[in-house]
Amino acid sequence: MADSYSGASTEADTTGAEGFLDDETLKILGASISSFFALGVVLLVLYILATQVSFTLLQTIIPRFLEALALVLGIVVVSSVLSVTSGIFVGLARVSNTAITKGISAAYVQFFRGTPLLFQIFVVYFGIPVLWPGTFPIQGWELPTAIIALTLNHAAYVGEAVRGGIGAVPDGQMEAARSLGMGYVQSMREVVIPQAWRNALAAVGNDQIILVKDTSLLTVIAIPELMQQFRLVNSATFDPWTPLVLVAIAYLSITIPMGRLVEYLEHRADWGGDSR
Amino acid sequence: MSHLLEFDEVDKYFGDTHVLKQVSLDVDETEVCVVIGPSGSGKSTLLRCANRLEEIQGGEIRLDGVPLSDPDADINRLRQQIGMVFQSFNLFPHKTALENVTLAPLKVRGIDEDMANARGEELLEQVGLGAQMNSYPNQLSGGQQQRVAIARALAMDPKVMLFDEVTSALDPELVGEVLEVMRTLADDGMTMMVVTHEMGFAREVGDRIVLMADGSVVETGAPEQFFENPETERGKKFLSKLL
Repeated sequence: MADSYSGASTEADTTGAEGFLDDETLKILGASISSFFALGVVLLVLYILATQVSFTLLQTIIPRFLEALALVLGIVVVSSVLSVTSGIFVGLARVSNTAITKGISAAYVQFFRGTPLLFQIFVVYFGIPVLWPGTFPIQGWELPTAIIALTLNHAAYVGEAVRGGIGAVPDGQMEAARSLGMGYVQSMREVVIPQAWRNALAAVGNDQIILVKDTSLLTVIAIPELMQQFRLVNSATFDPWTPLVLVAIAYLSITIPMGRLVEYLEHRADWGGDSR
Repeated sequence: MSHLLEFDEVDKYFGDTHVLKQVSLDVDETEVCVVIGPSGSGKSTLLRCANRLEEIQGGEIRLDGVPLSDPDADINRLRQQIGMVFQSFNLFPHKTALENVTLAPLKVRGIDEDMANARGEELLEQVGLGAQMNSYPNQLSGGQQQRVAIARALAMDPKVMLFDEVTSALDPELVGEVLEVMRTLADDGMTMMVVTHEMGFAREVGDRIVLMADGSVVETGAPEQFFENPETERGKKFLSKLL
């Protein structure tokens, strides 16, 4: 029985190697498919630029898109700093030995990861001001809402990334630090967190790029960000492609440098060039 | 002369498993106490209890007369006096060899950087790594990493050094260089408690051999006496398996 089974599998391997889908064919197939799609996208973009984009309209709407870009950038910088900082504390609370901090942070993550960001924006924008009437401004509550909702939402994701990063640091690191007479907080700060940070870097970077794209949801509370500009221009001119091209350029001009920044930070935390 | 490190009827449980059973043992100043025994006999656990990486459930462990489990005792202060070297090195991968050695003196003692570096360089020279000071752990061999770990523990000027199977994770050809450093340390009068499977080292460098089995100390004695003529049946059985 065992013999016939292994015989069959050998036969299958041989068929695989000699058949249509051997390694070389797969490689060529992969390369052709990806270049086909890339070429398709490039051609489509060129076609759109040539036939759909009005350069006169482009010139008149560029200033408002630059303003929107500056606004998005401002929201992103503030929410990024706040969400990464508080996310680190959420992550630390998740791995703490105290039941109460552990429980609170777990519930926090469950809620903010488990409900849509759009819902959270509505809660802050519409829900909070009615709880304490008169406390919040009727005008200008949008921007605080944006910062609060994005920070609370992304701190949960950063917290999970940091928790995973801490979990991946071997227990021996904490033991070695403690055996030298360093306290828990000191050992965390000097030994565990720098390593956890590198472990978490890719996931945190990923999340912060998503944060940039999440600013597009702010259009529902009438913040004059990029999608809002698209809607305004499109409804006035019925030209979809001219503003869409600007929207794409604007988002990519933030997200591509952010990706490079994450790569740079990962490279900097190379510690003698291991293979990780 | 008083004992430097005392284990007094120590009991330790992992859940329901009784891993240390009323273990009593004293290590004197400048003594090299070598703990041997089969896997699972509790020797590593005993060592880890000695700087409270493991909590004990009964008895008492004292360093220089001060109970480690005393609620008033500052465990961080006590641990500074106990150097520990681990089987898996546990060097800090984000720090160079020198930074590994100077981290605790800088952060715990708060001494200034020039002094810490000077002492760190001296210690790394002492373990034969003068040329590798600025290398990161992953650029070093296992033997080199373990020697950095020894220098790191020495940097806090401990009263006693604990060695937990420090050569077990090394390639055979790298064991010698680590044992050589330990031998020099013993010759210089360092008080050491060594858990090891290296019987040659135990016999040559040890002042006293402690045989553990099933969570208890079954025999203690001078190396010549223990290896030539063990007193207990358990000791005879253990030695016969080594040959």
